[in-house]
Amino acid sequence: MRRVGFVVNPIAGMGGRVGLKGTDGVANEAQAAGAEPIAGPRAQLFARTFLELSKHDESLRVRWQTCGRAMGAAPLRGAGVSEETIEVVHTPGERTTADDTRRGVDACIGRGAELLLFCGGDGTARDVAEAAKDRIPILGIPAGVKMHSGLFAVSPSVAAHLLVSYLRGQLRIGAAEILDLDEEAYRKGEWRVRLFATAKTLVEPNLVAGGKVMIDEVSEEAIRGELAVHFSELFENEPDTLFLLGPGSTLNSIATAIGIDKTLLGVDAVVGSKAVAKDLNEKGILDLLDHHPKAKLVVSPIGAQGFILGRGNLQVSPAVLRRIGTKNVIVVATPAKLAMTPILRVDTDDPALDDEFHKREYLFVVIGYRTSKLHPIQR
Amino acid sequence: MSKRDPTSWMRAEYEALVAQSLDWKLRVLQGPSAPRSVVDGKNVIMLCSNNYLNLSNHPKVKRAAREAIKTHGAGSGSVRPIAGNMDLHEELERRIARFKHRDAALFFMSGFAGNAGLIPQLAGEGDAILTDELNHGSIIDGVRLTKAQRVIYRHCDVTDLERALKEVDSWAKKILVITDGVFSMDGDIAPVGDIARVGEEFGAMIYVDDAHGEGVLGDGGRGVASHFHVEEKIQIELGTFSKALGVVGGYVAGSNELRNYALNKSRTWLLSGSHPPAVAAACTAAIDVLETEPRHVKKLWSNTKYFKKRLVSMGFDIGRSETPITPVMLGDSATAKRFSERLFDEGVFALPIVFPMVAKDRARIRNIVNAGLRREDLDEALAAYEKIGKELKVLA
Repeated sequence: MRRVGFVVNPIAGMGGRVGLKGTDGVANEAQAAGAEPIAGPRAQLFARTFLELSKHDESLRVRWQTCGRAMGAAPLRGAGVSEETIEVVHTPGERTTADDTRRGVDACIGRGAELLLFCGGDGTARDVAEAAKDRIPILGIPAGVKMHSGLFAVSPSVAAHLLVSYLRGQLRIGAAEILDLDEEAYRKGEWRVRLFATAKTLVEPNLVAGGKVMIDEVSEEAIRGELAVHFSELFENEPDTLFLLGPGSTLNSIATAIGIDKTLLGVDAVVGSKAVAKDLNEKGILDLLDHHPKAKLVVSPIGAQGFILGRGNLQVSPAVLRRIGTKNVIVVATPAKLAMTPILRVDTDDPALDDEFHKREYLFVVIGYRTSKLHPIQR
Repeated sequence: MSKRDPTSWMRAEYEALVAQSLDWKLRVLQGPSAPRSVVDGKNVIMLCSNNYLNLSNHPKVKRAAREAIKTHGAGSGSVRPIAGNMDLHEELERRIARFKHRDAALFFMSGFAGNAGLIPQLAGEGDAILTDELNHGSIIDGVRLTKAQRVIYRHCDVTDLERALKEVDSWAKKILVITDGVFSMDGDIAPVGDIARVGEEFGAMIYVDDAHGEGVLGDGGRGVASHFHVEEKIQIELGTFSKALGVVGGYVAGSNELRNYALNKSRTWLLSGSHPPAVAAACTAAIDVLETEPRHVKKLWSNTKYFKKRLVSMGFDIGRSETPITPVMLGDSATAKRFSERLFDEGVFALPIVFPMVAKDRARIRNIVNAGLRREDLDEALAAYEKIGKELKVLA
């Protein structure tokens, strides 16, 4: 029997209904304002759908490793999951906390879970990713106020379908970004999304091309290798150009493969395949640009949402972009990531700059060694 | 102990394929590939061969092969550039050129060898290759061997192609646009007329792989360029003798310059032993048949129209096919696999095309209609479709 971890954040999503834009640190307030729990019912809907989908297929039997009460066991029982397949690995107190989530995840992995499903929002995703430490893939059942991170299924029942596909070996493991809004700032009317980490998740393998796909089907790993060769060549062919590499797992893996020590979440600078500066802030970038008249920025879209600027890379300010020139922005994505990202977006905080991008309508996206594809960019 | 086990990785990789049901399970034909064949000991109606016109069984084609063995032997003895260039090869190439209304042609070991050998010689550093996202794997591999910048354009989308042409126009030295003529999974036809028109504006070379259009489309089966009346705008036509022409081998047709260049540069051509005399002679005979017996192409189309019309009237979804390649859309992979198994039980050989060859919800049975099928064969196959369609609740 396959072991799957299942962790529910029972208070996730409660803030949204009462206008609190998130539940971080304000769960009591939300409850006082009459917020109804939404994570439990959604977790139960997921489990019910999965039971229905798997009832005639012995190969889809799952042993659920979960937390006590509302953090997993209760919604599973509510959906009709049989008692002998539920294993409680962590029992929370009366009032659940982020620490319960982390301890639950750690216990699931400790008992051999191969995949972890969690039910919650971006805040829960952060806690789960932190505890999972890239050991196993994680997949979110959406129940939060905000779901910016790239590892949520679009609905609880889709999460059930994805689990079935995963158990049948039809999904690949890829990387996703964990993003969260700074809720303190957001409640004051500021929109500030930060990239917190990356995690392993499930991705639908997309066809790179048709024809004899059995041969063409290129693994995510091979594609990243190809991209590394592409950029290594580019850096060497333009030894006078300063390349600024944006945050995220795509660029991190490219840099690592070339042998450049890159920060995962920061903007780093490279000249001729050598790292010249790391984790730059806006001022740092502008200082570098003073010494390098030729510069290019390499960014990768946030999966699904498609932002290439203005999310997770605010150090690339309008002033920086004007100096580099919008034509010198290079977008890179693996074909699988691009396929789940229908539209590219920018939010530079400078309408004229945004317009410069929007007017182009399509941008080239590098998807392999010397290989690119035009992809729409819209408001 | 040796340092490493040289081959254990193979078993591991193979077992992983088997675990995901991605391994090929080979079926065995006992006898010729014919409209009714014996497959794994069972007599079946053949709906998945590429032998569109049934020329592999044509008496003239078979006779030509036998005669060539008598006069020229079983093998050619060498590669073409050294001592393996026979009069039969030269004759075949003249006949291809005449049939295709081109100046010259070059015969390759296969269509795959044509793409893999020629494409890398047509574009390099500083050039751009624009290629349809659903092009055949042999094109993809040919493209991978070049140093050109590659742009993948949306399937059959001339607007996206034009956008890409405008983008590469400022820096590309040469531009090569490559498309399949007919796409093998869906049976749809590339808009080769429009592709040639926009390509011409930018001075691009247009390269059409017409493996599934040859012997099927155009005047007397001359292919997709003839179908759209744009032969003079297509610089490179690649074709194959392994499908409608019933034998084996690929070719490129175009100008004399193309032939001269290709035979001096294509490594798959220069370094492969040449085709045996029987193959070259049989291919020439197949062209003879196409030129003198127009009834085969006509029969292919009347069979195709009948088969498609009946499937649609039963309530099956046949996708966007415009050619004898007729997919029957079934949704999920399990249904498609089950459907194919049941068809085989009922004496119809048609293979399922499932994920990951097509998207998960687009699993299908791919039928390829054949000119050699009689009306009663088609009716028998259609009756099986109707029966199983109802049985598996695909039809109401």
